[in-house]
Amino acid sequence: MSTSAHVQSPLMNAQGDHGSSRSLLWSVLALAVGGVFVYAGALKAWDPVRFARDIQNFHILPWSIAIRVAFYLPWLEIVTGLALITGFLRTGALAILSALMLIFIGATIAAHARGINLDCGCFGSVSKGLSFTSHMLIDLAILGTLIALWILPARVGRRQP
Amino acid sequence: MIDSKRGSAFAERMNLKPTALLCAAFFGALVSSHAQLSWEKTEIELHPKAGDQEVIANFQYENKGTKPVHINAVRTSCGCTVASLKKNDVLPGEKGEVTATFKIGGRTGIQQKVVTVDTDDAAQPQTNLLLKAVIQQPVELQPAFVYWQQGEAAKPKTITLKAAKDVAITKVDVTSSSPDFTAEVKKGSAPGEFKINVQPKDTSKQVNGTLTIKPDYPQAFYATVRVTGAETPR
Amino acid sequence: MRGVLRQTFALLGLAFLPAIGQAVYERERVAWSEQAMTEDEVTVEQARAWGDSVLWVDARPEEQFQQQHIPGAILLNEDRWQELLPEMLNTWSPEKRTVVYCSTQSCSLSHAVARRLRDEAQLKNIYVLHGGWQKWLETNK
Repeated sequence: MSTSAHVQSPLMNAQGDHGSSRSLLWSVLALAVGGVFVYAGALKAWDPVRFARDIQNFHILPWSIAIRVAFYLPWLEIVTGLALITGFLRTGALAILSALMLIFIGATIAAHARGINLDCGCFGSVSKGLSFTSHMLIDLAILGTLIALWILPARVGRRQP
Repeated sequence: MIDSKRGSAFAERMNLKPTALLCAAFFGALVSSHAQLSWEKTEIELHPKAGDQEVIANFQYENKGTKPVHINAVRTSCGCTVASLKKNDVLPGEKGEVTATFKIGGRTGIQQKVVTVDTDDAAQPQTNLLLKAVIQQPVELQPAFVYWQQGEAAKPKTITLKAAKDVAITKVDVTSSSPDFTAEVKKGSAPGEFKINVQPKDTSKQVNGTLTIKPDYPQAFYATVRVTGAETPR
Repeated sequence: MRGVLRQTFALLGLAFLPAIGQAVYERERVAWSEQAMTEDEVTVEQARAWGDSVLWVDARPEEQFQQQHIPGAILLNEDRWQELLPEMLNTWSPEKRTVVYCSTQSCSLSHAVARRLRDEAQLKNIYVLHGGWQKWLETNK
């Protein structure tokens, strides 16, 4: 009897296949990215009003929407980060986190392109911590890892006949 | 900002696999714009000397593309910075510069002013140039203002003069514009530090005065001293 | 595909629960419709309520001040800081509340001037007008 390794990517809806084991590579990447989102989400959930002000600085959303997003988004990050780490609902988690990264990257590019347009600004803080390039590289690296998690198999091994 | 915190946490993991790096590079290549104008530097940091009224930064650009670029406008974020341009049309291969002049005025510390360049290049419609001026105060007065309330005890109060690191000050003279205040100078605990003790004759009347503080340096400094009214804030 | 959608909505909904919980808990302390202010900001209404105890400080460029300013305001901007500061200090008194303004909510000149008044002159009760000159004009109609 030949045993064939059945490779499953998270795109296939796993229905509790016995006999295959979790891919170590996948779990490690998931822990890394998921952990980052849980950490970042926890930081924002700690002070939602401050996060709302940070959203304001992008000048994309009005305050009434920004403050509500500021309460919801951190918990979304925490919940999906945990989902990715535990593997529970991980496909949905990947979808949400990828969409979030695309939004973050888009908002960062838009804010950078528009620059600081104030009629009497004399604004001091153009670079808050990291430069635009560093921000982008890190965001793209996270997005890249998420893509890897889409493509790579989450489980390797053979499926029970 | 949030991204930087996530970034440092992510960097700590150090679990980036080659796949992820390749993906990031692929996306990076997609996202990078094929802009015509190439800027030598988009951030210039300047250190004006004490006494300089303004700083000038020249941002060099070159049209490394194949089409001419028209610069529509050059804008600044505030009135203290003026940006100018010799000509608006940049042919392929041509070089030019945007000159940003920032009037220092009474500003101190690190000042960052943004000059925005609008072009007709769809890949790069707007470029932000950053002028960073590090303005050093040769001397710091802590505080620059002391006051007594009418009826308060006429005890001396201290203004500390601190010279900046690379400024050598060995002597300080202080004169008061008003005979109602006396001031004397004592050396401080550190080199370049002086204590100016000010005292009003009495606090029966409201009076205003200016202390002219002359260290052995080609510039004088001023502190305001007053006896103010007696009421306390509601 | 349907599996992915189901999982997505499940997670979106799941995150809703703690978010709603936190929002309800912080309900009173959060400004839901108007922009939250920094600790040293006051609204036009609040400053007006203080009446005569307010010392208005205009942090804008001189040309704008000459055109129009809040009645009784003193000009103090960074362009001519060393020259204008003593005049402002001689007008100030301890029972006054100083309110610094510039043109709009997003301009930072008022914050810069307020900070320097606190740091260099060590004044207390320094506030920044939320919404700036623009808000003053709006509420004055």
